[in-house]
Amino acid sequence: MPATKKAGVTKKGQKKSARIKSKVPPKPTGKPPMPGERKAMRKRIVLSNTNALEVDGMVDLSREMTGKLENHVGKVVGLEGATVDGLRAAEAFKTTQGWGLFRRPGVLVREESVQLGKRMAGVEQRKETLRIVVDGGKGTGKSMMLLQGMAMAFVRGWIVLNVPEAQEVVNAVNDYAAIPGTTPTLWSQPAYTANWLAQIAKANGPILSTLKLSQKHNLPISVPSDTTLTRLCELGARDSDVAWPIFQALWSEITAPGRPPILMVVDSLSYIMDLSQYRDPDFNFIHSHDLALVKHLTDYSSGAQTLPNGGAFLAASSKSHAPISLSMNLAITQQVERQKGEEITERDPYERKYDQRAEDSLKGVEVLMLNGLSKVEARGLMEYWAASGVLRQRVDERTVAEKWALAGNGIVGEIQRGALRMRI
Amino acid sequence: MPPRLNFHGASRSLAIRSRPSVALRQPGIAQVIARRGYTEKEEQPPGGPNQSGLPPVSEEAGDYGKVKGETQPDVGQGTPVQEILKRDQEGKDNAPDVIKEEIGGAKASAETMTFENLLALGQMENISNGGLASDPVTTIGHKYGLPELPLPPTSNLHYRYDPVINQVTNLLMKHGKLSAAQRNMAFILNYLRTAPPPTPNPIRPLLPGSPHPSHLPLNPIGYLTLAIDSIAPLIRIRSQKGAAGGGAALQIPVPLGLRQRRRQAVEWILDSANKKKSRGSGKDQFAQRFAEEIISVVEGKSNVWERRNLVHKNGTSARANLAIMQRRRR
Repeated sequence: MPATKKAGVTKKGQKKSARIKSKVPPKPTGKPPMPGERKAMRKRIVLSNTNALEVDGMVDLSREMTGKLENHVGKVVGLEGATVDGLRAAEAFKTTQGWGLFRRPGVLVREESVQLGKRMAGVEQRKETLRIVVDGGKGTGKSMMLLQGMAMAFVRGWIVLNVPEAQEVVNAVNDYAAIPGTTPTLWSQPAYTANWLAQIAKANGPILSTLKLSQKHNLPISVPSDTTLTRLCELGARDSDVAWPIFQALWSEITAPGRPPILMVVDSLSYIMDLSQYRDPDFNFIHSHDLALVKHLTDYSSGAQTLPNGGAFLAASSKSHAPISLSMNLAITQQVERQKGEEITERDPYERKYDQRAEDSLKGVEVLMLNGLSKVEARGLMEYWAASGVLRQRVDERTVAEKWALAGNGIVGEIQRGALRMRI
Repeated sequence: MPPRLNFHGASRSLAIRSRPSVALRQPGIAQVIARRGYTEKEEQPPGGPNQSGLPPVSEEAGDYGKVKGETQPDVGQGTPVQEILKRDQEGKDNAPDVIKEEIGGAKASAETMTFENLLALGQMENISNGGLASDPVTTIGHKYGLPELPLPPTSNLHYRYDPVINQVTNLLMKHGKLSAAQRNMAFILNYLRTAPPPTPNPIRPLLPGSPHPSHLPLNPIGYLTLAIDSIAPLIRIRSQKGAAGGGAALQIPVPLGLRQRRRQAVEWILDSANKKKSRGSGKDQFAQRFAEEIISVVEGKSNVWERRNLVHKNGTSARANLAIMQRRRR
C-alpha cells in the first residue's frame, strides 16, 4: 500500500506554487462558415415578411403618378416587382430601413416626394439636368428620398446609376491606377468600376438590353457593332482592366441622341467632398475629385457637364458616421439661404479646412431640406403599419400626436423607432 | 382654457370683490402720492378702502397668466363667488347674509356643474349650433380632454412595458447596459415577427388555451410569453443540509411564484442560447440566438424541456420529504 501524501508536504524538486491546469479551449465542432458567408448574412436585404398582412387599397407607383403625387401625400404607395428588382440590383435598399417587417415594399409619399417627382417629370420633358442635394437631420429620410427618386426614375424608364455608399469609392480598399495621358493625373478604379458596370447592367437590364451600340468606340477589346448595352456592361464587368474605357463608351452611348434620361445617385456625399484615402507616388493623398469616377459625377453636380437627354444628379448627405465636409455644409447652407432669399453666410475667415474644389462642385446645386413629417403624413405611415399588423395599437389623433411629438416633431426614423422598435 | 359655460348667470352678475388678506400699500398714503394735478380735468372717482388694493382674483390670475405666458381665465365673466369663498373660510363666515344665502344656492348649483351636466349642456349647444350631439364638446374646460378610465396599467412611466418584456429585458442585460438589452429585445421581437409560424410538437404541449401558432408571429409579446410560461417550472428543489440525518442533504420541493418561474425559464433559455454558435456576424447575433431558442422552445425542440421535466420529476419524488420535514417541525 503506498504511503498517503500529507497535505502541505512537498517533495524535493517539486514546484511549490499551485498547479493550475490550463484549460484547453474546446475545439470547434461543425462546419465553419465559408469566407464571406457571415458578411453576406449581415448585409442581406429582406424585402418581405410573409407573416405581415397585405394592406388593402395600396396603389403601386406608376409612371402617371410620379408627376402628380400630391393626391397621394400621406399615403404609402407600393413598388411594383420590376421596380423592386431594379432597386435591389442598384443596392438602393439598406439594411437599416426595416423593409423586412412588411408584406411588400412600400414608400410613404411626403411633400418633398411630390416636389421631387414634379421636378423629375419637368426635366424629362425639357431635357434639362436637375441637380439636387438632399439634406436634413439624422433619421429624416434622406436615403429613402434617394430611393424614391430612383423608384420614380425606374417607372419613368430612366437609366439609373447608383453609388450606394460614397465611402466605398474613396476609402482605398480597391485597386487604382493612373490613367495615362491625363493632366492633372486622373485615377481609375478598375475593380470598383467593373462592379459598378455589373450593377448598372443588372439594374437597368430591361432598358439597356433594348439599346444597341450606335457609335464607333476605340476600345482595348473588340466589340461587335450590334452589341446591346447590357452586353457591353457585362464585358466591362468581366475584365476590370477594360472597365473604365468601357464605362466611357457606355456613357457616350447612353448620352447619344434619342436615349432615355439618366439618374445619377450618390449617398453619403461628404465622403467625396474631401481628400480620398488613396495615395499618389509622392505619398500624398489623392483628392477625391481626381478619381475619374468621382470626377465623372461631380462634373454633373457642378453643372460643368449637362445631360443632353435630360436627367438628374441626386445626392444625399449622411448624418451617421460620415466625415464633416465644411465646404459641403457651407454650400448647402448658402443654397438654402438663397432659396429662402435670406442673407448669405460667408466663409469663416479663421477656418482653414475649406475645400475650394468641393465648393465649386456644389455651386448652384438645389437643396432639398428634409425635416420632420407632418402629422397627416405620420398618421398615414402609422395607419400603414397598423394595417400590416406590425403596429398593434389604435391609431388615432392622440397616439399620432404622441409619437409625432416624441419623435422630435415627426423625424420619421424616430417615429419608426418609437413605434416599431422601442415600443416593446 | 375655453371660456366657462355661461349658464350660471346668477353668480356672474354678482361682482364680488375679494378682500385682500394683506393690502400691498396703505390706501391713505397712496392717495397722498397720487394726488391729482390741477391741470387734470376729470374727477377721479373716490376710491373705497378696498378698491385700491389687489385686483379681483380672476384679474390677478389673468395678469399672472399674461406674464407667465399661460392660459388666462376669462375676466369678462367675473369671478364666481363660490370660487373665492371656497378657499376663504374667514370670508365665508364674515360674508353678509345676502351672500351667505347665495352660497347656499351655489351649493345646489355646484351639483349641477358635474361633468355629465356640462357634457350634456355642451351637446345641447352643439345641437343649437346645427351640429350633432355626438360632436366633441369643447367647452368643458379640459385642454387635453379627460383620460379614459380605468387608466391602462402601462400608463405609469415605470410600468410602460409588458411585465414579461420588462423582466426578460432585465435578464438579458449585461454590465448594466439596459439600452443594449432593449435593442436586443427589440431585435428578438422583430425576429419573432418575421420568422415563419412555429409548428408545435404535441409531445411537448404548450400552455393550455394558447392561440393558434399562425397567430403568434404578429403578436410577438404573446409569442415570447407563451414560450416562457410553457417551460417555466412550478417548483424548485431546495437542498436542506443535514435534514436527512448524518449530514446528508434532503431534497425539498419549494413552489415558485410567477416571476420566479419566469426567471428560471429565461435563465435556462439564456444558458441554451449562450451555448449555441453564431452563424453570422454583427452585434445582433446574441439576440438572434435567443430568438431562435424561443422558437425551438415553442416547437418542442429545445433541451430546456428536458431540464424542466427533470426538475418536475425530482420534485415529484421529493414530495415524500415534505412529510419528514413536517414531522420534524412538530
